[in-house]
Amino acid sequence: MSYFIVGYYALLIGASCLAAFYQKRGVFLILFSLTLISFIVGIVGGESSLWFITLCAAALALAAGTSFAFREFLVIVLPTELSKAVKTAPLTAAFGLFVIMTYAIAGVFAPIIAPFGEAEVISSAFAPADENMILGADQLGRDLFSRLVYGARNTVGLALTATICAFLLGAVGGMLAATIGGWFDQFMGRLVDVIMSVPSLIFALLLLSIFGTNVAILVIIIAVIYAPRVFRLTRAVAGNVVVMDYIEAARLRGEGTFYLIRREILPNSTAPLIAEFGLEFCFVFLLVAGLSFLGLGIQPPTADWGSMVRENATLISFGEITPLFPAAAIALLTVAVNFVVDWMLYRSSGLKS
Amino acid sequence: MKQDQDVLLQIEDLRIEGYSDEKWIEIVHGVDLTLKRGQVMGLIGESGAGKSTIGLAAMGFARDGCRISGGSIEFDGMELTTTSESDRRALRGSRIAYVAQSAAASFNPAHKLIDQHTEAPVHYRIRKRMESQEDAMQLYERLRLPNPQEIGFRYPHQVSGGQLQRAMTAMAMACRPDLIIFDEPTTALDVTTQIEVLAAIRDIVDQFNTAAIYITHDLAVVAQMSDVIKVLLKGNEVEEADTETMLKSPKEDYTKSLWAVRSFQRDEKKRPENTQPIMSVQNVDAAYGPVKVLQDVSFDVYPGMTVAVVGESGSGKSTTARCITGLLPPTSGKIVANGMELPPSYKQRTKDQLRQAQMIYQMADTALNPKVRICDIIGRPAAFYGGLKGTKLKSRVDELLDLIELEPSKYYHRYPPELSGGQKQRIGIARALAAEPSFIICDEVTSALDQLVAEGILKLLDRLQRELNLAYMFITHDLATVRSIADEVVVMKEGRVVEQGPKGEMFTPPHHPYTDLLLSSVPEMDPNWLTTVLEERGVDNIGEAANV
Repeated sequence: MSYFIVGYYALLIGASCLAAFYQKRGVFLILFSLTLISFIVGIVGGESSLWFITLCAAALALAAGTSFAFREFLVIVLPTELSKAVKTAPLTAAFGLFVIMTYAIAGVFAPIIAPFGEAEVISSAFAPADENMILGADQLGRDLFSRLVYGARNTVGLALTATICAFLLGAVGGMLAATIGGWFDQFMGRLVDVIMSVPSLIFALLLLSIFGTNVAILVIIIAVIYAPRVFRLTRAVAGNVVVMDYIEAARLRGEGTFYLIRREILPNSTAPLIAEFGLEFCFVFLLVAGLSFLGLGIQPPTADWGSMVRENATLISFGEITPLFPAAAIALLTVAVNFVVDWMLYRSSGLKS
Repeated sequence: MKQDQDVLLQIEDLRIEGYSDEKWIEIVHGVDLTLKRGQVMGLIGESGAGKSTIGLAAMGFARDGCRISGGSIEFDGMELTTTSESDRRALRGSRIAYVAQSAAASFNPAHKLIDQHTEAPVHYRIRKRMESQEDAMQLYERLRLPNPQEIGFRYPHQVSGGQLQRAMTAMAMACRPDLIIFDEPTTALDVTTQIEVLAAIRDIVDQFNTAAIYITHDLAVVAQMSDVIKVLLKGNEVEEADTETMLKSPKEDYTKSLWAVRSFQRDEKKRPENTQPIMSVQNVDAAYGPVKVLQDVSFDVYPGMTVAVVGESGSGKSTTARCITGLLPPTSGKIVANGMELPPSYKQRTKDQLRQAQMIYQMADTALNPKVRICDIIGRPAAFYGGLKGTKLKSRVDELLDLIELEPSKYYHRYPPELSGGQKQRIGIARALAAEPSFIICDEVTSALDQLVAEGILKLLDRLQRELNLAYMFITHDLATVRSIADEVVVMKEGRVVEQGPKGEMFTPPHHPYTDLLLSSVPEMDPNWLTTVLEERGVDNIGEAANV
């Protein structure tokens, strides 16, 4: 029996005893059930499976530690009002913020961070990782890491622009519909129903094959497809605000529609809209990745995570994990954004206990 | 009536803490309370006095964000602070019942009244479902609900507010509890409806010899209902005495100040001669779709005068206000301001016409945008109508804040949720004043406020009227308010003006029968008032009294 296994069990059992002694029921239950599971897994899978569990736990601990440190960092750096909000944020939200910030930095400073150019062929196809290329090469011999970094700029940039367009379109329409009401409301509502009745991916494919694929058209099409959801939410939220007495007071004062929307309605509907923004961003992101995977999104040689998955997909059958890196990049960002959105939803719902 | 004089509920040194700003703050500081079987105790005090918190604590319950931190609560020999949650749960509903302020919000709108009524007795296996339904019908009859056999099979939205509150009381009685806690059961009701509910509650509590804690901020109501009165202030007991003594000779200054609230009164002003009315409503009819809500409404408001429009809910008071402001264009008739006919819809009116007539709302919470700073709320009308900017605007806002007796430097940058109810209402007044109007519609401005605070608002409005020569249209269902501030009174019922005239005339007989009903329904401080009124009207027709 190696020292590792002895140490592993000693640590787990010792920690569970400590937790039990200090009456931390939850912690104790987790630790001790982990011990029991480890017995079974250890017998079936041997020492390597225990190593795997240890690595997972270490990764989790590292992520938690990073999130904690990042949150403390934000509390100190940000101005007082924001830092108060961040102070109460759960670790998951801090983790999400950290990941988003990392992606943002990677996207903005891509040319500096990436060791090679986006479309630069530097080695043979599917070359394994070496000291030059930490993740190896893709199907044309381009550095995978450099393309991942550039992909952050292209994919995320496109998704962000498209989401912002969808929001401008949907939110302005929704607020106008709620404020003006009557036939305008009906017209917008039915228009949106028509757009929503077509499945989004098929609609996007249809439009893209009609108008051709370039970035501007892609952005417009995605904005049109996603604006209806934003419209519905905004109209519902604004509908609740419009009936308040302060809106009536402003109307009786003779204020115009634009003032009503900007100064009276918008400040009272920002929280749900921001949360919705995060969610929509994830959907748009996945749609862009999906379109790229089908070959109708961002065109080569521009680096993009969706098409990177497709181009390297053949490697999977050889037991290589290379195609999983761009997929993991997509997954991680989606999870991170959702963590942050959950936190914002929690804050806007006002449930504090 | 009360043979059984042993102690039912004994609360000693009760301390309750609330959680705010990440720490626990004590909100009830050691209150003692002793309640005998069959006794009714009135708990009074302004909002934040801890009335409801103590009422809930009597069931061993603390609402979210609160905890009972000390003292003992003994109910019929059982210590509620130490018994298990499941034991306490078994008590609630069966031996202790709770009647909430808003029956409409407390009933589940998706179930019939009688199904909700039978839930507790069936759950506690006190009665079978059919027995319990029979019992419910009997209780409905005792509470003088119309059609007691049938009313239980309606849904909550199909009965009126007063009936719902009585059904709620019947439901509380379903398990024949030893103790009922009434938390402001009539505050949301009209005077005419309130009187029915009060009589019903008093009768049934008497008949079953149930002990009750009656929480309210209305002294006249508590005088009718309770044997003993306890006055609370900021989580402390001020004094306790039986009702007679408390009303005749209160000891503490605070209690005296509560008693004095209703004394604010202003002499009636005469119509100024040789002037035209500042706002004149002429033969106005109005409708919501096909439903006619106003018929031939006419009255005049002269500069510097207050016209009070009274009537129960649904009588068309607020609709008249909507017609004047142009939110609901009248189907026929005219709104004339200063001799000039106003366009029917606010959209067609000029900026100056809009400026002339301002409005103060009932619920200051919804009337002020919670996301806008006080300086912008008050500053906007001044900037919008007067074109003020920069330092001129700031000094105008400061001036307005001074006018409503709020310190400018302290409140200038705050947001509405940081203010108390009375302060919010003052901001609402300042917003109306910022437009420099000559006519202000006050829509139930004091009904959501405590008496002391409401008194302050009324005095402020009165002072502003004298200083700025404002005309008020004062919509209210509270006749005490009318008595204190009005010059002329318009009584409305079912969309028509029933009677109108100067205040002095209106408050002296002979009255129109409806005015008479309204006037006689206002609770008075005399503990025998309810009994006398009921005798005069003949107890049996109390259910119909409001439909005269």
